[in-house]
Amino acid sequence: MRTKWIGKSFATFVLLPFCLLMAFPFVWMLLTSLREQNTIFNGPIIPRKFTGVAYKNAWTSIDFPLHFWNSVWITSVTVIGVLIFATLSGYAFAKLDFPFRNTLFVLLLTTLMMPSTALIIPLYLELKSLGLLDSQAGLLVLYISGSAPFAMFLMRAFFQTLPDELIEAARVDGGSELTIFRRVILPLTRPGIATVVIFQFLSTWNEFLIANTVLRNTDALPLQPVLFTLMGQYSTNWPALTAGLTLSVVPVVIVYVRMQRQFVAGMMLGAVKN
Amino acid sequence: MATTLSRHDVVRRSAGRTSYRFGSPLRRSQRIAGYVFIGPTFALFLAFVLWPILYTAYLSLTSWGGFGSPRFVHFDNYSRMLHDPVARRALIVTLVLTGVTTAILTFLGLVTAVLVNVIWSKVGVVVRTILFIPGIVSFVVSAVLWKLIYDPNIGTLNRLLGAIGLDSLQHPWLADHKTVLPAIVVVTVWGGLGFNMLIYFAGLQSIDPNLYEAAAMDGANTVQQFRHITVPSLRIVTGLIVSLGLLNGFKAFDVIFVMTGGGPNHGSEVLGTYLYSLAFGSTSGSIPQLGYASAFSVVTMVLCTLAVIAQLWLTRRADR
Repeated sequence: MRTKWIGKSFATFVLLPFCLLMAFPFVWMLLTSLREQNTIFNGPIIPRKFTGVAYKNAWTSIDFPLHFWNSVWITSVTVIGVLIFATLSGYAFAKLDFPFRNTLFVLLLTTLMMPSTALIIPLYLELKSLGLLDSQAGLLVLYISGSAPFAMFLMRAFFQTLPDELIEAARVDGGSELTIFRRVILPLTRPGIATVVIFQFLSTWNEFLIANTVLRNTDALPLQPVLFTLMGQYSTNWPALTAGLTLSVVPVVIVYVRMQRQFVAGMMLGAVKN
Repeated sequence: MATTLSRHDVVRRSAGRTSYRFGSPLRRSQRIAGYVFIGPTFALFLAFVLWPILYTAYLSLTSWGGFGSPRFVHFDNYSRMLHDPVARRALIVTLVLTGVTTAILTFLGLVTAVLVNVIWSKVGVVVRTILFIPGIVSFVVSAVLWKLIYDPNIGTLNRLLGAIGLDSLQHPWLADHKTVLPAIVVVTVWGGLGFNMLIYFAGLQSIDPNLYEAAAMDGANTVQQFRHITVPSLRIVTGLIVSLGLLNGFKAFDVIFVMTGGGPNHGSEVLGTYLYSLAFGSTSGSIPQLGYASAFSVVTMVLCTLAVIAQLWLTRRADR
């Protein structure tokens, strides 16, 4: 019993300073955003006076509401789109029997790991020839098609945990495959859907490379590319810059804290099945 | 319910056996539904995943500025890569950064998970959340944050060093060839640690506690228990963490692009940033080199495929 207590104390002793170190950039971000601009060069490390003026600056000078709304819109459509594609195909791969099922599945799997860094050139050219460059529609198509296979993979893992008897009983009772899917299966896969939603929300909200490449029209941009340009414009106005960062992080932290459990559960499932 | 099931089982089994070749109505509707359900996903996949992969492989064998049609040049782009000092440096930096961050992330992930696992569980929840938050903010946010910390004039790091009287250690961290790569490693580890810790933590929780009790009975000390129970039990988890680390390293782009843009003087150039500047970086007003850039796409894809194969290999060995 005593050795256990020593172990716990030791672990705390090591972890707490480490946590402070890990949290430091965020603490610093908040402190800087609440500082007065003229104290960033030589003021005390912890400011004596706090002000919210930087948030006002960030909010108005880059039209924050517009880009925030763009991010919300793009993320929502992507999440819903991915969810539709992934639940349908994940269910088919898990529970329906059709020729070439495994071949098609392996084909989808082998390309799962291809990063957008490597595909950005052909994707850009493809959107250009489709006339979808510089439009949110083009970006949405790329987001949904790029994410659907992984989400399908997650959903398939969830569907596989459901017993076959359930579906077969419904078939005998005369339900069409679509009815079975909607009435019997979907209500049972809430946890799986929650996992896909939070994963997709985080990855879409945070995506930078593709958005920054295919959208040049400033008004259509989501937050991440705007934060990047903000860095160039406000290279010395740190309070406004960090205020912008803080505002962009708020939804992510809220969603994470509220859906932490599903997130961790989904990660485990993804990790185990991988 | 039970009767329905058993009655149904009989129907289904006999249907499956007798009429498979002709396709019973049940099976046919399943087949149609199967294709209808995967159809949309598969169409998108063909158009925006598989086609781009093949197209970039083709482009890598051409010379193309984006106008007119690509000129076929065989493997010229690849041999050019071998003689391009920036390309060689980018490849080496990619491999070194990937190797170092993966090693650190795997080691630290295991250590923090073990510590979180022994700590009081309420404290553990808080610690897990704190360690994980850096992983859920975007790479742009973390890159900008750390750029502010590393800033030579008014950066936090230099100010803190000055405040505790270590002015001699103050440094232009991102502008010096020697420190820029370690600085990037710190940012990557900061962002990726929580994920690895959490996966290791789940792995630790799934180890049967009886194993430890039995080992303790046999007189094994903590270190021996760790070596002979904990580490072997976590083999599959480790395989996953290592291969994800490799994948993330090979595709690295955002953090470096935002923090240094590949500089100073290509000092932190990786495959991703170099291919991006070749294809889209019109800063010098030069013609985009889509063919040459595509060759780097292909190299990146090959490396990522190798990482996946490595994981399969590690997992298979763990099964034995």
